[in-house]
Amino acid sequence: MAKISDRRAGPALLLLLTAVVVAAACLSLFFGSVLLSPGDLLHNEILWQIRLPRVILAALLGLLLSVSGVILQGTLRNPLADPYVLGISAGGAIGAALAIATGLQTISVPALAFLTSLLAVYVVYKLSQVAGKTSPETLILAGVALSAFCAAVLSLIIIISGNLQAIYFWLLGSLSSASWLNVITVIPYALAGSGIAYFFSKELNALLLGEEMAQTLGVDVERTRLLLIGTASLMTAAAVSVAGLVGFVGLIVPHFIRLLIGPNHRLLIPAAALSGMLLLIVTDALARTLLAPTEIPIGIIMALLGAPFFLYLLRRRRVAGK
Amino acid sequence: MSALKIENLVCGYRPGKPVVNGVTFTVDDGQFVGIVGPNGSGKTTLLRAVVGLLPIENGAITIGSHRLEQLERRELARRIAFVPQLMEPVDGFSVEELVRLGRTPYFDRFSFEQPDDYDAVDWAIEELKIEGLARRQTTELSGGEFQRVAIARALAQEPRVMLLDEPTSHLDIRYQVSLCKLLRKLRSHRSIVATFHDLNLASRFCSRLVLLKNGALIAEGPPDQVVTPENIWKAYRLKVSVRKNPTTQRARYVLLP
Repeated sequence: MAKISDRRAGPALLLLLTAVVVAAACLSLFFGSVLLSPGDLLHNEILWQIRLPRVILAALLGLLLSVSGVILQGTLRNPLADPYVLGISAGGAIGAALAIATGLQTISVPALAFLTSLLAVYVVYKLSQVAGKTSPETLILAGVALSAFCAAVLSLIIIISGNLQAIYFWLLGSLSSASWLNVITVIPYALAGSGIAYFFSKELNALLLGEEMAQTLGVDVERTRLLLIGTASLMTAAAVSVAGLVGFVGLIVPHFIRLLIGPNHRLLIPAAALSGMLLLIVTDALARTLLAPTEIPIGIIMALLGAPFFLYLLRRRRVAGK
Repeated sequence: MSALKIENLVCGYRPGKPVVNGVTFTVDDGQFVGIVGPNGSGKTTLLRAVVGLLPIENGAITIGSHRLEQLERRELARRIAFVPQLMEPVDGFSVEELVRLGRTPYFDRFSFEQPDDYDAVDWAIEELKIEGLARRQTTELSGGEFQRVAIARALAQEPRVMLLDEPTSHLDIRYQVSLCKLLRKLRSHRSIVATFHDLNLASRFCSRLVLLKNGALIAEGPPDQVVTPENIWKAYRLKVSVRKNPTTQRARYVLLP
């Protein structure tokens, strides 16, 4: 496939993507269990208090998950790394579920989710180290094992708290409880996280040559890795805290964009952020309308799309390795 | 003035088990130094220590007027560039994009490529005569072509010393010779230190040779002082005679029956 690597093609692509994202966001405002018409624009409660924060939150969720996918794949040098596969999401879910079950305030949900997701990423990273080296296979296996463990702990929390429906529906991944407060809570994570990722794109690019070559190019690999994995965990935690478990976004979007424009992170990060926004805006619009007035949790739609794509990637890698 | 000074260097992968044990030599500006020796003699380990990938247990490495350990990673990367024996191409990167990675140590946190950086990349690509490949994908190149791209990337770093680990080992003889000619030409800008398996090739093109065995220095100096039957016996346990190439006057060994 032709790669867009020209110095001028990058900004043009980003502008185009931005336009598409804005258009999709505007359009999706009108779809839902109640169809709105352009005439409702000015004085409609549903539009301003429910739809608009929800569309913005969907966009932010897409950005958080795809950028943290790019970061994790780049720093771990593993195309299969993503916050969901590595168990960071599941870890974050425990914190968020604990916060909900114990009736803590909304602000403390991301904070607790952050702590447990950091703990999860630390455990996975340590478990996957064999003789000081992290192999892609053990990393994935450690992530899967940890996810299973976290699922058990989650069930325990649900049973003990007796709040089955609220937590379970939330775990499926949904934006149905989106509010302006959620938007305000998540925005700092999205801005800071993608900013950090963007300004570390030279390190991520150098890592494409391998750890040692990156070191000979002046990159402090250990410090970069720590900072960036921390950033990705923070972003994942923020996403999990407002939308529950929405998987595979961090896997599908970066890979698709990488196939399209190549692995240069300076373009890859903004392009993946915008495409993630677009994907989630569209998916959430589908979630609201496909079975209206019933809502399909967005996590279910993403898993239906994402799991086959993940298998495709695994097979492609196997073939390429031969 | 010496670009690189190695004094009594001791280093290895595990404490107490040195792979390089007490090696001393200097590389002056504009020299092309070849490091030779049998397998496991510490050639690669020596290069890895100089580029900062391996801690120094004892002795000193001095680059220009700075001790290695005084230099920050980024400052070191502006002075020393490393071309490993096997570098992987980057899926999805063009040759130009890969060479541009060599400018990494010059970027500030909040800025990206400046006009200087593009100039350095263009210059490195011209020096390696790979202008025709600049837009090609790195994954499509032959081994010989990619080796030049890897060297162009190191050259774009504008280092004072360029280290190459067995740059000729995967090339056919035609590419071996053209690569050595190129390196000999490049040394007018940068000092070059490269490890070699082919003693005759190294003797033909290098300005100095360093012969190692079991991490220790056997001989060091101009090729005709290093490539001698006595030294080759010491390093390789091979009986050879040494002749001079009638045209180049360079020493080369011939196996005795």
